[in-house]
Amino acid sequence: MSVRELIHSLAISRMILRMAAPLVPRRERAEWLAEWNGELWHVWHSCNSGTQGSNLTAFCLGAFQDAYWLRRNNPNSSLRRLFRSGSPVKCGLSLLVFALASMWVCFLVPGSRSVMLPSPYRDPGDLVMISHGGHSSEHLPTVRLEDYESWETSTGHLFTQIAFYQPARKRVRVAPHRTTELSVARATDNLFEILNVPFRAAVPDQPLHASSASLILTQSAWRRYFHSDPNLEGNTIEIGGLQARVVGIISDNSWQLPGNIDAWILEDAKHLDEMPSSSRGFVLARVKPSGFPVGSSVRRSMTVPREKGDVDRYDCVSLAQRAHEPFALFLFTLLLACLALPATTPLPLGEYPLRPDRLPSAIRFRRWFFIVIKIALILPLVFFSSLDLAYAGLPLDSPAAQYIQMIASFLGFLFALRWALQDQRRRCPVCLRLLTNPARVGQASRNFLAWNGTELMCSSGHGLLHIPEIPTSWFSTQRWLYLDSSWSSLFSDSYLAPAGFS
Amino acid sequence: MPAMAIEPKLSHTAAMILQAIHAGQVYGFSVMEMTGLPSGTVYPAMRRLERDGMIVSKWEQQSIADAEQRPLRKYYRVTRTGQSALEAIHKRYPLLEKLIPSPEVKRV
Repeated sequence: MSVRELIHSLAISRMILRMAAPLVPRRERAEWLAEWNGELWHVWHSCNSGTQGSNLTAFCLGAFQDAYWLRRNNPNSSLRRLFRSGSPVKCGLSLLVFALASMWVCFLVPGSRSVMLPSPYRDPGDLVMISHGGHSSEHLPTVRLEDYESWETSTGHLFTQIAFYQPARKRVRVAPHRTTELSVARATDNLFEILNVPFRAAVPDQPLHASSASLILTQSAWRRYFHSDPNLEGNTIEIGGLQARVVGIISDNSWQLPGNIDAWILEDAKHLDEMPSSSRGFVLARVKPSGFPVGSSVRRSMTVPREKGDVDRYDCVSLAQRAHEPFALFLFTLLLACLALPATTPLPLGEYPLRPDRLPSAIRFRRWFFIVIKIALILPLVFFSSLDLAYAGLPLDSPAAQYIQMIASFLGFLFALRWALQDQRRRCPVCLRLLTNPARVGQASRNFLAWNGTELMCSSGHGLLHIPEIPTSWFSTQRWLYLDSSWSSLFSDSYLAPAGFS
Repeated sequence: MPAMAIEPKLSHTAAMILQAIHAGQVYGFSVMEMTGLPSGTVYPAMRRLERDGMIVSKWEQQSIADAEQRPLRKYYRVTRTGQSALEAIHKRYPLLEKLIPSPEVKRV
């Protein structure tokens, strides 16, 4: 039996119908399945007679639509009750789904994934990037080669190891008659040793300090430009007139330092000396435990004396601190949004007369629990969404990404918190469903003589909400009016359903 | 004072299905064959028509299915409400009757 025949067999078709059956409400399920099985028999005979071709599976797939219709239109469905208009469960579940979806996207996008995952480096708190302008210029090469060379010998009391790299666009021969431009960093041969990043050494007998330069590629560059050639490692490649031997490939997530780099040429000090001494690059160092005063892990800096008594100040930003930056931005924008929130919407939730004799404490507590849950779900939703926006197309160290995250996070928090408060004010304090049937009450021209505003009601009959059009000294905020049990017959489901209320 | 007729709001697809049942295609599969609509459209539409009282369903007799050695089938027929709805539908969709002729028209 071929696969096609198997797919269009009666047994598979019956299985599809049985898979759709659980969607049908239990009470109607047996009859529904019998009807579809009865029709299936005729469709199958029609197919065998050659009039319908391969429509057997298509016929059975329609059962899902039919079953879903029955489920959706079942008046006793708990799912229907759960998702009916204005339900707090629907609101909470929607927020949860959005938060989970934004987190899932965050893990799909390589840039935001690297923000979420822990640092790939050993002791990132001891690894520092040395730059001339602190945070603002740590994504730019600011250290001159001659400074690095002097620090190699003079900073032994501060750092155990120190490395230099300088990214540049270079033409790389990727095939015998084809070159392409890649971002290649010339680096000292101890760069990956400091980072403690493992890479596959293709030529174990070939030490990194051999006469020819060593080349390390990122996995994406290896795939894209060398078509995942398994025999590439150990080969010599021409890069901007320089011969370099491929010694390894590292995963893309292993590089989280400034510079969007495709490959690194690791060279010893002798070869690096060929570069102009004034050329600038990045410097990475591993801090000695006793190198800086205790408690200075947040702000470390060093000064370098210059000619004529001048002093240059260099900031040492730890990689752990860099990794925390997106979360620090998140907290900062949350604080800003909380400060700006009163300018966009009133903070009070309204006046709700206390009725301790009638309302159980669980119902009163549920109202506050609901707003806490909403805010608790808004926090991850905005955080992950802002990361998705910021790092979808920009590298981790990009200042543009940080600005995008900051703006998206601030606006996201401001409008989400505003919505949370407004949504809470439009809900019944008893059943937490959204209030319906807004009605204008009073006349605007008589505002100082009588009450004028909007009245909303709970469709379950728990009460009425009065919102003043213009806040006055005697009616400054919205007021809730509880309805007693004598009103309940007007709001029962049996009365509401024919009237068209959901 | 004559009773005011309320014209049912039926889509063209639902109208086609109602007309097909009226024309004698009493099973879901035969309605599909007549209208060319897929099962995922025909069966939910028939449920809606049944809910609105325009058609009723009934299981055929067991003896008929046993004689033909096949499973039981459910058949549908148009109610009086459905009939009056069809009259209004024919005014709204004049070509519908030409597409799926009614039994009376067939005899002519």
